[in-house]
Amino acid sequence: MMQQLLAILIIVYFLVKLIWQKKRHSISRSEFIFWLLFWLFSALVILYLPVLDRIVQNLGFSASGIEVMLYLSVAVLFYFLFRIRLRMEKLDRNITKIVRALAIEERAGPKIKNVSDKPLTTKI
Amino acid sequence: MTNKIFCVIPAYNEEKFIAKVIREVKKYTDQIVVVDDGSADKTAEIALAEGVNIVRHLINRDQGAALQTGDEYALKHGATVIIHFDADGQFNAEEIKDIVAPILSGESDIVFGSRFLSKKSVIPFSKERIIFPLARLVNLIFFKAKLTDPQSGYRALSRSAAEKIIIEQDGKAHCSEIIAKVMKYKLRYKEIPITVTYDDYGQKFGGGIRIIIDLVIKSLIS
Repeated sequence: MMQQLLAILIIVYFLVKLIWQKKRHSISRSEFIFWLLFWLFSALVILYLPVLDRIVQNLGFSASGIEVMLYLSVAVLFYFLFRIRLRMEKLDRNITKIVRALAIEERAGPKIKNVSDKPLTTKI
Repeated sequence: MTNKIFCVIPAYNEEKFIAKVIREVKKYTDQIVVVDDGSADKTAEIALAEGVNIVRHLINRDQGAALQTGDEYALKHGATVIIHFDADGQFNAEEIKDIVAPILSGESDIVFGSRFLSKKSVIPFSKERIIFPLARLVNLIFFKAKLTDPQSGYRALSRSAAEKIIIEQDGKAHCSEIIAKVMKYKLRYKEIPITVTYDDYGQKFGGGIRIIIDLVIKSLIS
């Protein structure tokens, strides 16, 4: 009971913080909705733990409901990590494009010229 | 048609070797472009003093990115043959004439230098016996490419090959990417023997793993 109360208090803290961030326009509408649903879902899970245990047992898991939630959250975290990695690769690629465009457009060297005294052009 | 042989030299903190490399390469090419890849030392200043073309990356983007920048620059300035040459003095500039010959004769679209054909390069034992055989296997399985040297950085491309092969791998995976694209576009390729002098070990086993990860990630986002 004490653990549930503590968890609810933490969730309330994050909900208040979320609403405050939304009022300050520091997060987008979609982000606000995502995190609002996330924390409300978490609160529901905490409040109805016995129901969750039954659902999990009916699904055939031997672990308790909260343990299954923990496993799921680890899987979700790995998925987000993977998404971030892909996003970083795309960002990296875009940075290269910008660096390349700047390098070619604003070339620091002298005007193009033949490097040898006698051009080595070949006829075919 | 007059050929314009362009040498692309990507350079990152190569102030010790760059002048010597440029002087050697000058003898065998029409033009040189040094891509200074965000060096913190005097690489760019030294290259500039040698009177070659320089493009500068504001920040380091790694060898694959620098090669693509050099290719784009060379194509923009009328290159008909592009050579990729390392700035660390490990390649032999005299072999440029051998590596461009199959392109000038119209025999090949791309020519790879190989350290494993008749000429003998001094290659670290673990590279020769473990890393390269594994890399060859990766190239064969994923790209169906039978090349004796799976990670050679010494190569020459015809203009049309350079236009087709857009290097998207900024890091060391560009070698495998180029091979994959040669197969994809059904380009005519050839390997010719080269000699390489190793001053340091170069690509290590961890680097090889990194190349495979880069190739997988790239296949997922493209």
